[in-house]
Amino acid sequence: MTARRVYLRGVGAYTPLGTRWPRTLAALAEGKSAVRPISHFDASGFPCQSAAAIPTAIEVEDRRLPFAQSAAREAWAAAGLEVAPERLGVFIGAESGRPSLATVIALSRAAGGGTSFDHRSFGLRASAHVKSAEVISPSAVASILAGEVGAGGPVMTVSLACASSAAAIAEAARSIRLGECDAALCGGVGADVDPFMLAGFALLGALSASGRSHPFDCRRDGFVLGEGAAMAVLAAEPPASGAAIEVAGIGRTLDAHHLTAPDPSGDGAFRAMQLALRDAGLESVDYVQAHGTSTPLNDAIEAAAIRRVLGPGLARARVSSVKGALGHSIAGAGALGFLCAVAALSEGTVLPTAGLEQPDRACDLPHVLGEAISASIDTAMCNAFAFGGANVSIVARRA
Amino acid sequence: MSQEPVAIVGAAAVSPYGFGWRGLARSVRERRLSPGPSRELRLVREGALSFEVPDLSSEVDSGDPKNRKLMSRAARLATVAARAALEEAGWRDARDEIGCFLGIGAGGGPLDELRAMLLASLETGRFSQERFAQSGLATTNPLFAFHLLTNFTLCHGAIAHGLGGPNGAWFSRGSGTLVALTEAIEALGVGDCDRALAGGADCALYAGTFLELDRGQYLSRGLVPGEGAALLTLARDAAKPLARVTGWALDSDKARPISNRISDLLGFFDSRIPDALVIAPWGTPTREALFEALARRCAKVLDATASLGESLAASPALAWVVGLDWLLSDGLESVGVLSAGIDGDLGAVLLTRGEPR
Repeated sequence: MTARRVYLRGVGAYTPLGTRWPRTLAALAEGKSAVRPISHFDASGFPCQSAAAIPTAIEVEDRRLPFAQSAAREAWAAAGLEVAPERLGVFIGAESGRPSLATVIALSRAAGGGTSFDHRSFGLRASAHVKSAEVISPSAVASILAGEVGAGGPVMTVSLACASSAAAIAEAARSIRLGECDAALCGGVGADVDPFMLAGFALLGALSASGRSHPFDCRRDGFVLGEGAAMAVLAAEPPASGAAIEVAGIGRTLDAHHLTAPDPSGDGAFRAMQLALRDAGLESVDYVQAHGTSTPLNDAIEAAAIRRVLGPGLARARVSSVKGALGHSIAGAGALGFLCAVAALSEGTVLPTAGLEQPDRACDLPHVLGEAISASIDTAMCNAFAFGGANVSIVARRA
Repeated sequence: MSQEPVAIVGAAAVSPYGFGWRGLARSVRERRLSPGPSRELRLVREGALSFEVPDLSSEVDSGDPKNRKLMSRAARLATVAARAALEEAGWRDARDEIGCFLGIGAGGGPLDELRAMLLASLETGRFSQERFAQSGLATTNPLFAFHLLTNFTLCHGAIAHGLGGPNGAWFSRGSGTLVALTEAIEALGVGDCDRALAGGADCALYAGTFLELDRGQYLSRGLVPGEGAALLTLARDAAKPLARVTGWALDSDKARPISNRISDLLGFFDSRIPDALVIAPWGTPTREALFEALARRCAKVLDATASLGESLAASPALAWVVGLDWLLSDGLESVGVLSAGIDGDLGAVLLTRGEPR
C-alpha cells in the first residue's frame, strides 16, 4: 500500500500572547515573552509564582475548553474545507481537566469541613459537586470539537503528558496516510496554570525557582508553566493555491528510563528524531523547534541529541524553543511547537528563543537570539518529550 | 477495517480473578465471581458493590514497595500485566524496540490521599489556599500531578520493563482501547516495530470516578465498577502463534439506534463466521441490546463484564483475553469480541486460531 501524503490546510492558536495565531506569531517574532507573575489567583504561597497564563477566571470549570474552541475555530476557518462528516477525524492531545478551586473547596466542605474527614458525608454530598465527566474527562475537548466541526470519522484523545498534542498531530497524519479519514482537526490544549498543577510540579522540583524561562541558557533553573491551545487542519488534498506544506515524518519512542528525568544518553530523543527523519526520507532539517523546557537536564540532553542526529547538517540548521516566551503548556506544548515550525516553512520566520541570552556551552546549538530572522526553510522538525519518557518528533516540509 | 493478520504470541491479565489469563474464560462462563461489597468504596458509600482485584503476591506485584507508592492503581496493574506478558512471550532482549499501546483511564488519587491533602489544607475549619499550596499537596504522593497526567499508566510499566519502542496512550471509556490495539497492529504492519504490547488498564474504584459514574446514572443502570489490566503480545510474524487478530471494526455513530449499529457490527463478523462471541457491555441497557441482537445469530455467547465488572479502559482488553483463552481452551477456530463501553462506541475484534507458518 502506498501511503497518502498529508498536507497542512490551516492553523489556529489561543495563547497568552494573542487570541489568534497571527497575533501570537508577531509577538513571538519580536522576542516578546508572556511569562509574568501570576495574577488570576493568589500564588503567594507557591514555590514558583510566575507563569505564561491566560488570565481567565480560575473559577471557570474546565478552562481547557474556551482555549481549544477558539484555536479550533480559527484553524477550521482557515482551512476552508468541505469534507464528508464520516471522512473527517478529530485528534486531540489533552490530559484531565480540573474542577475549579471553588469545587475543591465545596468538596472539602462535603467532607465535613472540620478537622476530621467525614467519609460518609463526602459520599453523600460530594457528587453534587462533581459536575459531570465533562469537567475532568480528557476526552471532553475532542468530543466537543468533533461536534462543532461535524466530524463523524475517528475521534480520539491522546494523553501523553507533554507530548500529547504532538502525538495527536502524528495520529492525525497517520490516519490520513492510511485512508481512515481524508481530513483531520488536530492539536492540543493545556490549561495548567492552576493551584493543583502549580503545586504539583513544584513538588517535583521541576519549576523555575526564579520564575523565569531561559531555554538553553546558563541561568535556566526549571520550566515555567504555560497554557494555551494550538490546532491544525491536515488533509489528503493539498491547498488549491499557495505553497503547500506536508507532514512528512513521524517518530515516537519511549525513554524507559525514569518518571521525571530524561535518559542521560538522550537515546530516546535521538531515536524519535531519527525515525522522523527516516520516515520523511531526510538526513537533516533546516530548522528544529526544540522541546527546550528550560530545565537543566532536558536542554543539555536534547541539545546533544540534536547535534548527534543532524550531524554535519547542523551547520546549516537553526534551533529555537518557544517555551522561553510561552512557558510549558504541557499537553498543548507539542502543537504550539508544530505551529512555530510551520511558520518557519510557510513564512520563512525563524522564531527566536526568548530568554536565551547566555547560551550554555552544554547546549551548543545554532540558536536564534533576540528577534526572529528570515530564512528560506524547506524542512523543519518539532520535538515534544514528555514526563514519563514518551518522545515524539514530527518532520514537516515544503511540498 | 482489517489488514494483514497479526500474530498473538502471548497475553497477560490482572482481573478480579487474580493474576493470569489461562482459565479466565471458564471462570467467566461459570460466573465464579459475583460483585461483592467494595473495600475501596465502603467509606464513600456503604454497601457499594464492585469487582476488585485480590491482593497480589509479592512474586507478581510490580517492583519494590517504594515504587508502588508512586503508582496509581491502574499503573500498578498495568506494570504487573506488562511483566507477565513479556515473560510469557520470552521477550527478554532488545526491549527498547518493543512498542506499547494502551487504553487508559482518567487519573484519580485514592481516597486516603485526597483525605490527607484536604485535611492539611484546612485552617480553622476552612479550606485555605495558602495551606493547600504549602502543605496540602506535600502530604501526598510526590507524583500527585502525574495521577492527573494519565500517561503514567503506560510509563511506569515502560520504565520498569525497558520498553522503548513506538507507543501511545489513548484515553478510553471503551473505544480508546480498541484504537490502541489497531495502532499496535498498524505499527507492526508498517514496520515501526516487530513486537508490541497492546491492551488497557484502568480502575473504576476511585472515589471521584465512582461519583462520576453515579452522577451519570450508570450505576443505577446496572454498571458494577471493576478494575484490571490486560495485554496481548503481538508480533509481525511468529513461527507458532497462539492466535491471530484477523480484523476489527469500530462504530462511533451514536446517533443511530444501537440495534442497527450492533447489526452492522455483526455483519462484520458474519463474513468471517466466528464460532463464539465474547461481549463486554457496560451495563443493563447495552447487555440487553446485545443479547437481543445476538439471540438468533450465535449460540455461544460469553458475557465478560457480568463476571469481571466494568473496568472502563480495561474492559475491552480483558474481553479479548477471555476470548483468546476460550479460543485455545475449547479448540475453536475463531472468536469474536464485541465491546460496548460507556462512551457509547461499539468495538469488534476477531481472533482466529494461529496456524503455524
